Amino acid sequence: MTRNSASQPRRRSTGEGTDLRRLLAPPAIWASHFLLSYVAVAVYCERAGRAAAIEPMRVLVLAATAIALGLLAWVAWGLWQVRARSVTDDDFTFEHNSPEERHRFLSHMGLMLCTLSAVAVLFVAMPVLVLGTCR
Amino acid sequence: MSETQSPYSDPQDDPDVRRAQEERLSRVWAAPRGWRYFSAVNNDKVGIWYTLTALGFMAFAGVLALLMRTQLAIPENDFLSADTYNQMFTLHGTAMMFLFAVPIFEAVAILILPAIMGARDLPFPRLSAFGYWCFLIGGIFVAGSIFLDAAPDGGWFMYPPLSTKQGGIGADIWLLGLSFIEVASIAAAVELIVGVLKCRPPGMHLNLIPLYGWYVLIVGAMILFAFPPLIAGDFLFEMERAFDWPFFDPERGGDPLLWQHLFWIFGHPEVYIIFLPSIALLAMMVPTFAGRPIAGYSWVVLSAMGTGFISFGLWVHHMFTTGLPSVSLGFFSAASEAVAIPTGIQIFVFVATLMLGKVTRSVPMLFALGALAIFVAGGLTGVMLAIAPFDFQAHDTYFVVAHLHYTLFGGMLFPLLGGVYYYYPIATGMMLSRRLGVWAFWLMFVGFNVAFLPMHITGLLGMPRRVFTYSADMGWTALNMTSTIGAFIFAAGFLVAAYDVLRPKGISDRAKRNPWNAGTTEWMMEMPPKPWGARCVPHVESRYPLWEQKDFLKNYDEGRYYLNDAPDGRRETIITSVLDAEPIQCLRVAGPAFLPMISAVLLGAAFILATFKMYTATGIASALFLGAVLYWNWTGTAEHPEKEERDIGLGKKVPLYVSGAKSTGWWAMFITMLGDLTAFLGLAFGYFFFWTVSPVFPPEDAQGPGWAWPALAGVLMLTSWAATLAARQMNGEGRVGAARLSLAAGAGAAVAGAGALIAGPWFSGMDPTLHSYPAIVWALVVWTAAHAGAGLVMQLYCLAASFAGRLTPRYDADLWNVSLYWHFMVFTAVVTSLVIGGFPLLS
Repeated sequence: MTRNSASQPRRRSTGEGTDLRRLLAPPAIWASHFLLSYVAVAVYCERAGRAAAIEPMRVLVLAATAIALGLLAWVAWGLWQVRARSVTDDDFTFEHNSPEERHRFLSHMGLMLCTLSAVAVLFVAMPVLVLGTCR
Repeated sequence: MSETQSPYSDPQDDPDVRRAQEERLSRVWAAPRGWRYFSAVNNDKVGIWYTLTALGFMAFAGVLALLMRTQLAIPENDFLSADTYNQMFTLHGTAMMFLFAVPIFEAVAILILPAIMGARDLPFPRLSAFGYWCFLIGGIFVAGSIFLDAAPDGGWFMYPPLSTKQGGIGADIWLLGLSFIEVASIAAAVELIVGVLKCRPPGMHLNLIPLYGWYVLIVGAMILFAFPPLIAGDFLFEMERAFDWPFFDPERGGDPLLWQHLFWIFGHPEVYIIFLPSIALLAMMVPTFAGRPIAGYSWVVLSAMGTGFISFGLWVHHMFTTGLPSVSLGFFSAASEAVAIPTGIQIFVFVATLMLGKVTRSVPMLFALGALAIFVAGGLTGVMLAIAPFDFQAHDTYFVVAHLHYTLFGGMLFPLLGGVYYYYPIATGMMLSRRLGVWAFWLMFVGFNVAFLPMHITGLLGMPRRVFTYSADMGWTALNMTSTIGAFIFAAGFLVAAYDVLRPKGISDRAKRNPWNAGTTEWMMEMPPKPWGARCVPHVESRYPLWEQKDFLKNYDEGRYYLNDAPDGRRETIITSVLDAEPIQCLRVAGPAFLPMISAVLLGAAFILATFKMYTATGIASALFLGAVLYWNWTGTAEHPEKEERDIGLGKKVPLYVSGAKSTGWWAMFITMLGDLTAFLGLAFGYFFFWTVSPVFPPEDAQGPGWAWPALAGVLMLTSWAATLAARQMNGEGRVGAARLSLAAGAGAAVAGAGALIAGPWFSGMDPTLHSYPAIVWALVVWTAAHAGAGLVMQLYCLAASFAGRLTPRYDADLWNVSLYWHFMVFTAVVTSLVIGGFPLLS
């Protein structure tokens, strides 16, 4: 949906749904990765006993980590394409009152959330690298 | 925006026209007088009651803390008995969390959010009032129990088996009293989320919302996902206490850890639900006193969102010593460390803003700086405690007490008190005393540190929490005495602040307009504040309109923005679109009524009578409550306007009635049902939790509900859902008769579906007291059947409304909202059918 006035050249549509979807996707990816890792390991350790090696879970969690990071990279790539987006958001100068600016802002937010989520995903993957058993 | 920079010359140039407009607005928005004062629903009245009540409960819980500190001042003290001490620490924690920290967020938000959004009021003023009365009644019930020596005494997190086995009604008061208050929290969350999404002033795109709005939005969403698991847990817990359904009893297949999971899935996000809104006050104050825009607006939003999400992955760090596998602990340890990143970003943004600006000294700023110092210390001990092996050592000692008080005082109490000083003029038109404020701050800051800093050491020396006394040989005496002295210094400071807030104010205390030279919308308010909230709803083009928009105050005062008049004698506010705040509706909000109070009293009666196991009376109170709510809906909502459109000024005409996703009611239903769905998922989690921890689940010899009845129930519920949806469609097309038939058929299918659902466990003779398996199946069935009952009432309501001419093809908001309910309902029903009927076939 484009709401630019006629005086402004039409640069790109400022989609309504896309914005919020891309904003919520990165934390949702983190949450799914987190829940999957936790539930899988909890069920596995409950069934296999505390002496069991976590090897199969290590493979699973690391695979999930790779997929999560891949998805985050994909979302980030989409956001990277947004025109006139800047890494710092140019907080000091950019404060315009237009759907364009709102779109840039939300894209910037989404991009930062991708970074934060990727860091959190990596954090959560660490225990399976360090620990050997379900103890 | 050329139209706002060149406001039309007439008729707003005429002072007589403006005066007449102001008179009409004043009359429409005036609060009722005399004994009818308590029927007020305006956000400024309800917000003040709410804030004062929450602060009152805080003072009450603070007195409990002082009594406990007195008891601990010297070893082997006999000032309090062990039993009284148990009640006191339980009630101290409970009241501070449930009667102060969460409600004060709702209170302050209801008070100042409309002003920050330049709105006249929130979309559902009567819902705010209902929430307030629920909070007041529930709070008095829970807090008052200590005067009858009947208070809960198992700790504020009520761990079973201690709390399930305890006699007396203390635990029941906790469970039912707080469930009742959670209703108020969820009501406020619905109100505030819709407020931020839909009641912004025109032009306020998402990237221009004052930071407080972002925080409220995020915290509201967190409440929706955090409180329902606790409600589900309360439900299971009370079923165990009242009817002996063994959810938490290991001898009959239950597990006490299920409660800990459900409690902390609520309990950890709750910490951030408390923390974020107070930090939000800092985000409003810091730019004002730095005299410049916040340095890193998007970073603050990022950190609030990041914190909001990650806070849901931390709950097991309260359960590090329960014997879970170390890999599980590792996941939560890692997430607990990760949350420090977004939390830290906010602190750095505030520091950067202060460094880049020119700081004005003031009392709110003093509290803000004190808060940052204390919070950073609390955050650092948090990073220590997130490391599982350290937690094994410090668990349940005074180190944890010190940590949590540092985070809560620094992250919540000090910012809040700063906010009280900052926003006092908005609430009352008066200023608080600078001299008293400085005294209050230093007494509190010093007192707090003297009380809590030594507790780190007391804890490391091994003093456990919650002991009512200790022996002199332990070497804790001097530290405890220091803490007690500090607690009283803090209390002295709080008294100074309380006196300042409550003392009668004279002419010299009157606030001038925008007393802090702030840039955000709420400070456009006239001093003293007028009943209308906003003279007109401004067109916002900047994050700091008072600093950056030319002639903003002049245009505002002369009513040159939207809704500058109340020609129809109705309370009105503007509803805007979610992303870009385009005006889409002129909403007529409800005026004063006793109905919210009456409904709250009836609902409160239902909960309180259930505590005393008077179930017949509970049933009667619930039925009366249902009647009151139906009457409220019938008389107070979705009225047909006398005209289609209203000219809101600046050349904009918007409809007075909208339905579906554009309407506030639809959003409220959507948000409420998200919370409800989360509670249901909490119950379903219980089922699968038992499957995880039991060697065989369902147990081999156990009787299940079979697959046939659940499958039939699922099909009938799908039918009811489809019929409701079809009714909405046909009604919209003008085929009213067919729509009525379809609704009636849907209602029939709902009744049959609920019956089939109950028939499964009923006819197979499942006894919920025997084992956790039949108990959790029954819990799912009872939950789903009750929701089908609510769905049935809604279908019948729409049917009646259709016959009464209230629901027409044009005015069909009720039916839209009911079909939205049924989307969630059918999901709940199908999942329940699949879980109870289908899952046993798999395992």
